[in-house]
Amino acid sequence: MPTEDAPDDLMLHPSFVTVDGLEGHLARVELPDGTTEDWPLASLPPGVREGDVIRLTVHGGDLEAEIDHAQTRDRLTAAQAGMDALNAGAPTGDVEL
Amino acid sequence: MKRALCLLALSLGLAHAQRAPAGVLTIRFLDVGQGDAVLITSPEGKSVLYDGGRSESRMRELIRQYDVPSLDLIAASHGDADHITGLIPAAALFKPRFFLNNGVAATTQTWAKLTNILKLAGTQGLPARNQVLNLGSVRLTVLPPPAGMPAGDQNLNSVGLIVQYGSFRALLTGDSETEQTRAWLRTLPGGTLGPVDVYKSIHHGAANGDSAAWLAAVQPRNVVVSVGPNNYGHPTSTALNLYRKVGANVFRTDLQGTVTVTVQPGGAYRITTEKGTATPAAVPVKPAPTPAPVVPAAPANVTYANCAAVRAAGKSPLLRGQPGYSTKLDRDGDGRACE
Repeated sequence: MPTEDAPDDLMLHPSFVTVDGLEGHLARVELPDGTTEDWPLASLPPGVREGDVIRLTVHGGDLEAEIDHAQTRDRLTAAQAGMDALNAGAPTGDVEL
Repeated sequence: MKRALCLLALSLGLAHAQRAPAGVLTIRFLDVGQGDAVLITSPEGKSVLYDGGRSESRMRELIRQYDVPSLDLIAASHGDADHITGLIPAAALFKPRFFLNNGVAATTQTWAKLTNILKLAGTQGLPARNQVLNLGSVRLTVLPPPAGMPAGDQNLNSVGLIVQYGSFRALLTGDSETEQTRAWLRTLPGGTLGPVDVYKSIHHGAANGDSAAWLAAVQPRNVVVSVGPNNYGHPTSTALNLYRKVGANVFRTDLQGTVTVTVQPGGAYRITTEKGTATPAAVPVKPAPTPAPVVPAAPANVTYANCAAVRAAGKSPLLRGQPGYSTKLDRDGDGRACE
C-alpha cells in the first residue's frame, strides 16, 4: 500500500509558513493560502522569531521544521524596499487630510 | 462643568447601518473579531481607518454596513495580520491619499498584498513622525514608536494616535507592550497622554500591554477592548482588573459588537453599542476563563500542500468531508488522509 507522505515529493516541494506574531506559548503563522492559524510555539524550531519563514519538509518519514534564513532575509529585504519606496517623499510637518 | 455634559448613553441598535452623521465626530470601534479596526469620521465627513482587523470579507461588510463614502487615510498601527488584513479591501476600494505606518516591513504575504495595492492606488506612505494630521476640524496627533525599540518587533513599534475634538480626547495605541509604554512615559512631555475620555485597550487586553504606571498617565474614563474568540486568553483578568482599578467603564466588541462614540462640537460625547451594556467600573470583573487546550483551527476553505503541512497543523488524519481533505492526500482512498 502506498504511503500518503510521498517523501520524495515533499522533499521536492516543501511547504512554507511565515510567523506573523508570537503570543505567549503560541505562534500565529500565515499558511500558504494567506490564512492564519495558531500553532504551539513548541512545534516550531527553537529561537523562532516573528517574521521568520519556516520550511516544512519530510525526511525519512519525519516532519522537519526549520527556519529558512535565506528566504526570511530575501522577503524582508524586498518588503522593506517596497515600504521605503512607498514612504519616500512623505510630507513633514502638519498634514491636511 | 464639561464632564457633566458628557452623556454615557448605552442604547441598543443605535449603531446599526448608519453613515456617520454630519456635524459631529464619530469614532467606531468596529467589531472585527480578534483584531483592531477603528473608523474615525470628522464632522466634515472626512474619514480615517486606523487598522483593519483580520478579515477582508468582514471589512467589506462593515464598509457597506456603515456606508463609508471615502477614506482619506488608512493607518496600520503595526504589521500584524489581525490589524492589516482588512486594510487591503479598504485600500483597493478607496485609494486613500495616505498610509500611516511604522516603517517596519513584515514578511507575510498579507503585508506584501497590502503594500502592492497601495502602490497601485498611488497612495503616499506616511512613516510615523511627531506630527499632526488635521482631519477637518479633528486633530490627530501621531505617536511614533520611541527610539530604541527592537527593529524586528512589530508590537513594540506600534504607532499611537491621539484624537482631539474640542475638549474630547481618545487614545489608540495598537499592540504596544510595556517596554514601549515605558519609553513613551520617559520621553513624552507631561500631559501628552491623559486624561482621555476613550482609550482603546492595548493589545486586546493582553497581560503584556497595560500597566498601572501607564494607566496612571492615561487616566482613561472609558476603555474599549477590541477582541474576539481567541486562543491567547484576551482580554486577560490582569488588564480588566487594571481598568477597574482606575475606575473606567469597559466596553468589549466581543460582547457589545461595534462600539460607537459620538462627539459634539465642544467635546460632549456619548457611547452607544450594537448590543449589551458596558461593564461598570464598580463591578468586579470576573477572571477570564482558562483557555481550552489549543487545537489549531482550520478555516473551511483551507488547503494543505501535503501531509507534512497537515501534521504540522495538528489535523492528521483528515477525514473525508473535513476542511482541507483532498483525494490527493488520501492515496489509498479509504477516506482517511495523512494517516
